[in-house]
Amino acid sequence: MSAPTTPAPGSGPARAAGASANRSRIGEFIFAGLALALGVFVFAGAFAIRLPAAGTQVGPRVFPFLVGTILVVSATMVIVGVARGKVAELEEGEDIDDSARTDWVTLAKIVGFVVAHIALIEIVGWPIAAAVLFGGVAWSLGARRWWAALLIGLALGLIVYVLFGGLLGLSLPSGPLLTWLDPLLRTLRG
Amino acid sequence: MDNIMNLMEGFATALQPEYLIYGFIGVLIGTAVGVLPGIGPAMTVALLLPLTYALDPTAALITFAGIYYGGMYGGSTTSILLNTPGESASIVTALEGNKMAKLGRGAAALATAAIGSFIAGSIATVGLTLLAPTIAAWAVNLAPADYVALMVIAFITVGALLGSSVWRGLTSLGIGLFLGLVGTEILSGQQRYTFGLLPLADGIDVVLVAVGLFAVGETLYVASRLRHGPVALIPVTRGWRSWMTRDDWRRSWKPWLRGTAIGFPIGTIPAGGADVATFLSYASEKKLSKHKEQFGRGAIEGVAGPEAANNAAAAGVLVPLLTLGLPTTATAAIILSAFQSYGIQPGPQLFTNQPALVWALIASLYIGNVMLLVLNLPLVGIWVKLLQIPRPYLYAGILTFAALGAYAVNFAIVDIVILLVIGIVGYFLRKYGYPIAPLVIGLILGPMAEAQLRRALQLSQGDLTALFTRPFAAVCYIALILIIGLGLWLRRRQSRLEHALAAAAAADTSVEAAVNRMWEPGQRPSDVATSDIDVVKPRDGRDSR
Repeated sequence: MSAPTTPAPGSGPARAAGASANRSRIGEFIFAGLALALGVFVFAGAFAIRLPAAGTQVGPRVFPFLVGTILVVSATMVIVGVARGKVAELEEGEDIDDSARTDWVTLAKIVGFVVAHIALIEIVGWPIAAAVLFGGVAWSLGARRWWAALLIGLALGLIVYVLFGGLLGLSLPSGPLLTWLDPLLRTLRG
Repeated sequence: MDNIMNLMEGFATALQPEYLIYGFIGVLIGTAVGVLPGIGPAMTVALLLPLTYALDPTAALITFAGIYYGGMYGGSTTSILLNTPGESASIVTALEGNKMAKLGRGAAALATAAIGSFIAGSIATVGLTLLAPTIAAWAVNLAPADYVALMVIAFITVGALLGSSVWRGLTSLGIGLFLGLVGTEILSGQQRYTFGLLPLADGIDVVLVAVGLFAVGETLYVASRLRHGPVALIPVTRGWRSWMTRDDWRRSWKPWLRGTAIGFPIGTIPAGGADVATFLSYASEKKLSKHKEQFGRGAIEGVAGPEAANNAAAAGVLVPLLTLGLPTTATAAIILSAFQSYGIQPGPQLFTNQPALVWALIASLYIGNVMLLVLNLPLVGIWVKLLQIPRPYLYAGILTFAALGAYAVNFAIVDIVILLVIGIVGYFLRKYGYPIAPLVIGLILGPMAEAQLRRALQLSQGDLTALFTRPFAAVCYIALILIIGLGLWLRRRQSRLEHALAAAAAADTSVEAAVNRMWEPGQRPSDVATSDIDVVKPRDGRDSR
């Protein structure tokens, strides 16, 4: 069970490249369009800001008007640029495969594990929730042994929990399974 | 003389064992972070911000300064040994440094980068020591309109000139400015864009935005197109004492000094950080070198100069940050918000109100530089090991610590939800080529710019011309026009240079190309010296294999 890297059957490399260029262009339009919408919203929303009774020259609306204008103008120019074929130049990175297509399945898995982490913190405590997050993300990214990832995550969670609670005095929730750790923290704190 | 006394007192503080340890932790984390792909100094400072609330401001700021300097050192190791650098300021180092490593001269490249960084960092810190109090004393007289002018310069240069696309940069800046608007407005106490939601009334936490964009967004982006398989790392020969030959020293010392002379002033002006400085240094070394033919194939000057420029610029960035409260890079912006979280406002008054803190900070920069030289020369093997962490675990760890950092701000689950949302936005920003730095600068500098703008217009009774008629402000706007012109010219040159380099790499009959054909990276036997390799130039065209 490693991350799926093989492209869908039936899509030759040439076709895939063309299709993905097209698709990323649609994505660019959508994103720039959202930025434009945000600009309009900032501008319109500025009218809803209440002005203080004492009439000052420059109220709390002026800067929002400026920001809205910047967003509207620059997002429009991005859209115009994309329409003329100026697609984004991507930054390189050590671990990024430029030729790979966006792997939405892995992304969904990772977001899912973050959501699970959020849901679990107050139920099972931070260390176990951290183990789920660490193990899950490592597995999504193709770690070969999921149980090793989970164990490393648990160790990491416990170390951070003890260091935080014991030395920095920041108490992360321990959850019902790990209450036996609390006396240890108290002795560490002195 | 007064400054020297102050600096000595700063050393007395920074050399206390407690602060030495914090400084050491800072440079250690900073180097690790600089070496590791996927995390940069900006994100690390943001992540550690909530954890240092328990410390006193001096200790926290010394730690952050260490991270800041350490990150600059670590980045060069990555770009020399792995190619394709993470931080944009290291791109130029990768050009020559990685070629040197492939020729089996990785150790020399690492050494010239580390020593150059040390020399440049030290000289630039002296520059900071001498320059900062003077500028602070002068800046006391600046009026709000002057600050507005300075901030406009910072917005335009960071937003429009540094990225690859002017309008994408400005869009990113606009989003950051908008996020800065959310919350309760300072002067009149009005709520803006809070949708009546209580968590938004205090504004959006800088930590969440920075960690969300830099850590979560970056992890998601890498995950979406992760390079699978082993990391193609070039091993370094042992014995750091023999790293640099006499010839290497002879060829390195001038680029170090020139890089410093280029980097520090560029870092100082609010025209955006280290990238420009490294590129300029590279171009001038190429022009001045007696070994022009080696450029693009592993010229040591092309590592020594830009690395020195990089570190000198990093110190230069601290000048406007400390004396004017003006951040010109994302990391500086987050350090500024760290100052603010302790109730300290960097600016002209900082040197008179908080002399002990600011001089201890400057002294810690000298100390940190020495620590970094020690950490990076003999101990480089440890950092190389860090580069080999399997990527699934590395990014899982980054994400776990990001979630922890967000949670530790207020111990509120909702903060992790906001973190995830910002991270997803960051992913799309990255995917569609919007730079992140303008957003962070807009978020942190936006509220300050608004306050100054309104103060300026209050003073002038709403007269807009007052924004331009003060002499300093007028000079700023004229400079801005020049900077824009210069920036566009530089960008054209830079893209020309990149094209030329790509062409040179394609038509390559050099020793390095021969090495690449013969051995995989790192497989080259150590007893084969470059001079032993006889390159036979193909007679008719190139080997078409």
